[in-house]
Amino acid sequence: MTKGAVLFSITACSAFLTYALAVTGFPYPADGAALFGVAWLLLYLRRLNRYNGLTFALFGLFTTASVWAGVSIWYGLSGMIFALLAWDLTAFEETLHGLLNRDDVRKMELAHFARLGLVTSIGFAGVVASRLITIELTLGSALVFTLLGIWGMSALVYRLRGGA
Amino acid sequence: MSRVSLLAALTYLIFFTGVASLNGDIIGLALPLVLYMLAGLWRAPDELKLSARRVLSEERITPGGVITVKLTVINHGNHLEQVRLADPLPKFLEVIEGSPIRLVSIPAGGEVSCTYTVTGGRGSHSFDGIHVTARDNLGLIRRHALLPAPGQILVLPGLTRVRRISILPRQTRVYSGVIPANQGGTGIEFFGVREYQVGDSPRHVNWRISARQQNVLYSNEYQQERVADVGIVLDGRKSVNEIGGGRTIFEESVRAAVAVSTSLLAEGNRVGLFVYGKKSKWTSPGYGKYQRERILRGLALAETGNDLSFNSLSIPRRLFPPNSLIILISPLIPEDLEILGAVRASGFQLMVISPDAVTFEARRLQPSPAIGLSMRILRLQRETMLRELRHMGIQVVNWDTSTPFEQTAYAALSRPAVWMHAIQRGMKAQP
Repeated sequence: MTKGAVLFSITACSAFLTYALAVTGFPYPADGAALFGVAWLLLYLRRLNRYNGLTFALFGLFTTASVWAGVSIWYGLSGMIFALLAWDLTAFEETLHGLLNRDDVRKMELAHFARLGLVTSIGFAGVVASRLITIELTLGSALVFTLLGIWGMSALVYRLRGGA
Repeated sequence: MSRVSLLAALTYLIFFTGVASLNGDIIGLALPLVLYMLAGLWRAPDELKLSARRVLSEERITPGGVITVKLTVINHGNHLEQVRLADPLPKFLEVIEGSPIRLVSIPAGGEVSCTYTVTGGRGSHSFDGIHVTARDNLGLIRRHALLPAPGQILVLPGLTRVRRISILPRQTRVYSGVIPANQGGTGIEFFGVREYQVGDSPRHVNWRISARQQNVLYSNEYQQERVADVGIVLDGRKSVNEIGGGRTIFEESVRAAVAVSTSLLAEGNRVGLFVYGKKSKWTSPGYGKYQRERILRGLALAETGNDLSFNSLSIPRRLFPPNSLIILISPLIPEDLEILGAVRASGFQLMVISPDAVTFEARRLQPSPAIGLSMRILRLQRETMLRELRHMGIQVVNWDTSTPFEQTAYAALSRPAVWMHAIQRGMKAQP
């Protein structure tokens, strides 16, 4: 099940970005995105998982650059979410490697997919919500807002872990 | 770079790019990554407070036997979402049921168990502990621990019964046994006649000879039967035992060592073992069942090693007095002749049991004229080597491993070689 999900995620993320770039009018970068997806698939199928993190980071930067260049946020976001899934599930598959107890594998897969589904759904919903709220900010106020955001996230994690 | 560091770096890079370009869409791209990281960090495992215990159904088996291992891990800390338990096993053990690896979640104060069944060939394994890796469900933060759960599995070599191994050492010990000591006294076999001494049983008086003499009585003497000192040397040199394709004749040598030591100990002899392999190890001589156990343990641990020659082989005289019998179990190579001659010359009586490595290897190869010719040459070389050993006064048992050792031992060792009597008589004649 995990392997199928990884293959689907890699294909989906590269397909979203390729399509988005193509319809936005960037044919060569679209080809590049497609080739990138093929390369990622090959790396995964050849079990070269040590490049998994690098591939994900490059894909993330590629998507960011594409959105900056004018690609639709929805395609970019979908590509990013599927890339995150592919990166996560590849690592998860390594964790499952060598397990003979099918019951353990099934339970862990369910728990992992549930957590992953929840996180990505909330992320997507958050972006949808953020699109409905428009705030005009200067650079200075944006920076202050960013620093507050970082502090807030750290405090949230600290608080959640303290209560765990 | 760890997963969490990579994710954090990418998130902040996207975030600051969004802020710098005043592009809310780019900031939005970072949101799923931020949530993913938060979820991972929130449920990350704290310091591991685990303990483990191991229960083995048996600690020692013979090849083919099975041992069920039950591991229980107890969590004294917080809830752990994903815990990978791995109990490393050596190569000689094979898991036939269950698995020594599990991936589970353990609630606070809860416990989880892992049961598996193993079988295997000869060997010994001491468990160090259980390797535990705990992570959050998304695998961002990992914590490792080695939980002590001691245990030992000993797979003893299979027992082969040899009915009797007849040896004629030059020197025996004072205790009674079954080996003819070449001395008159109490026993079963007739040894000679001597003048009657006070205390001799009237049953032992030889009336036929006494009747021929005047005023002198003669008594029969019987051959004393005693126990002997025997040292078994097991050759574990890799270059001699390992043949190619991962095959080794060493297991056959071990089987022979088990059979010989068991038989000699059963007859009351004092037997010691020296394994000349990966770790040269002496099992000091002793008697009885306890010694058999020690020797079996030594043989269970025996492994081949990279020693190049027998040059460093020395037999401690404090363990084996001169004239005691040394049984060398080795496939042998021609270079060994010199050192064996030296051992023989230093006063030890030598017997060599040699598993035939040439025939052993020939069985694996596809027959062809070239192979047949090379095997013939190797056999001739081996025959020459064994003949030279016999000329040195060394008793040689050439064992074709396709026949059971019991059969070879029965044919070659159930009665002493005739020429051994001659050697013994020669020794007796010396002043």
